[in-house]
Amino acid sequence: MTSLIARLAAGSDARVFAIAGAGSRAAVQDLRLADGVELVDSPRAADVLLVAGALDPRHHDAVRRVHDALPHPRASVRWAGSRDVLVPGAAHVALGTDPSSAIRAAHQALMHGTMPTEPPLLPDEDPAPWRGVGPYGQGGSGMTGGTPYGRPMAELAPDRDGLRLDLLPTRLGPFSSLLPHGLELDLRVSGDILVGVEVAATGLAASATSASLFIRALTEPVSIAELEIGRARDHLRWTADALRLQGLRALSLRALRLGLHAAPGDHRAVERLAADIARTGIYRWSLPAADGARTELLAGARLGPSTRASGVGEDERQADPAYRSLGFAPLLGAGGGAAAAWRLRLAEAVRSLELAGRGGDTRSAVTGAVESPRGRLALGDAPSGRALGLLPTLIEGMEWGDAMATIAALDIDLDELGAVTAGTSAEAAA
Amino acid sequence: MVDLGPLAIASAVMVAALLAVLGSWLRAARRPSSRTAPERVPFTGGQPPSVHAWSRYHVRYYPMALLFLAFDMEMVFMYPWAVVFVGEGLVAMVEMGMFIGILLLGVLYAWRERAFRWT
Repeated sequence: MTSLIARLAAGSDARVFAIAGAGSRAAVQDLRLADGVELVDSPRAADVLLVAGALDPRHHDAVRRVHDALPHPRASVRWAGSRDVLVPGAAHVALGTDPSSAIRAAHQALMHGTMPTEPPLLPDEDPAPWRGVGPYGQGGSGMTGGTPYGRPMAELAPDRDGLRLDLLPTRLGPFSSLLPHGLELDLRVSGDILVGVEVAATGLAASATSASLFIRALTEPVSIAELEIGRARDHLRWTADALRLQGLRALSLRALRLGLHAAPGDHRAVERLAADIARTGIYRWSLPAADGARTELLAGARLGPSTRASGVGEDERQADPAYRSLGFAPLLGAGGGAAAAWRLRLAEAVRSLELAGRGGDTRSAVTGAVESPRGRLALGDAPSGRALGLLPTLIEGMEWGDAMATIAALDIDLDELGAVTAGTSAEAAA
Repeated sequence: MVDLGPLAIASAVMVAALLAVLGSWLRAARRPSSRTAPERVPFTGGQPPSVHAWSRYHVRYYPMALLFLAFDMEMVFMYPWAVVFVGEGLVAMVEMGMFIGILLLGVLYAWRERAFRWT
């Protein structure tokens, strides 16, 4: 009986919680298409922890906490350029090679019982033990007697109905599946409404680099065909992630498959995908409705599709003579809001593939700024930096689900942000 | 002789479930939790929580009660209606259609007032 259960368990997909460190976001996303591996959204549902990419020492404790959040039996795989001791006992896979066979092997060994479960990395110390007033920690005032597990109760504040209820402070991130990894938000939640938002930390490694096409295009002419295919793929990858957040798994995998290999001939497939997404009804039912003040904020922030979705024709490509010679004109949405930004991204992916087909050998001009898939990109000024500045104002007062969809629609790329700002600080030093 | 077959099966299932629950409870009671403090903390992305998890929020009983009435009254009247439906025929069909239509207006109103969005 036990061996039958072990055999069945080993035959199932290995459920993996992945920490996407600096420079590994796309690689981790590609794992969703790997056979025998299923990426899950919480370590509680995982068998294997995958720690990918570079991580600063300030994140090491968070990694250990995530590791300890996995239920037994658990194993971990370190997917990085060089060996380190971040997770002792983890199998090492070099970044750039496929980790799925190592993940499957670890899962099999766990399920057959040939590999012991990994012990916790953090000491068994309650950070906030129960403390009452008595000599043995007992007693005290109030319903619970003392402070339950040493942590203070949430503070009280009037909610929108005038009732005095709790404001729950929540630190989300750095490795939450709802946010790009590396982003930490300090949220204060009243019921389901975010009443306070602060960006607590961003970035995973100080030495962030990005091999992004668009960063290269800042300093050297790049073929327009290459740039536009890159843009279409980026939009499709974003769509895959946003669909995953909305719980539409099959469509998400379809978008990701398209995003891996999209080429100029694929614009029909992207159009069909866009039509199928529209047919699910999420634009009307799941995404937050457009809101005047928020649309206004995005309209002035040069955030690419998010800005153009409100009808503002802001696009760095218009300043590039190479694009003008191809007859480029930016696509515009109407009214703004997350749904308009979704639609516009898919329409832009189609348009980019068409442009790439017509681009031939034309090369972009170096003008000091590039229209990245996220908006205007220049040295020292990344669209994700501007988006992070707007984020608290954008999501304050929203319901939880709407807020998460709004953050997703901003398409924050911390690697790009790190690479562009690290470049300027190095230049300033030189 | 009353046929006790179904009753016997039901009791057997009950007793088995009870034994299973009791067994797992005894096992858990004999051995204290083997999980360490960091393993027991709720997961929010890798940071420890700063306040206790006991949080009082508005359950919104009032819209919940109204919605319950809208849906429950339908069912309450549909049970006796289902009994006489075959005898009454089309008249019962139309009458129930009107009744449900009126109740549905209330549900549509609740929908418009965003009562289904629990915030």
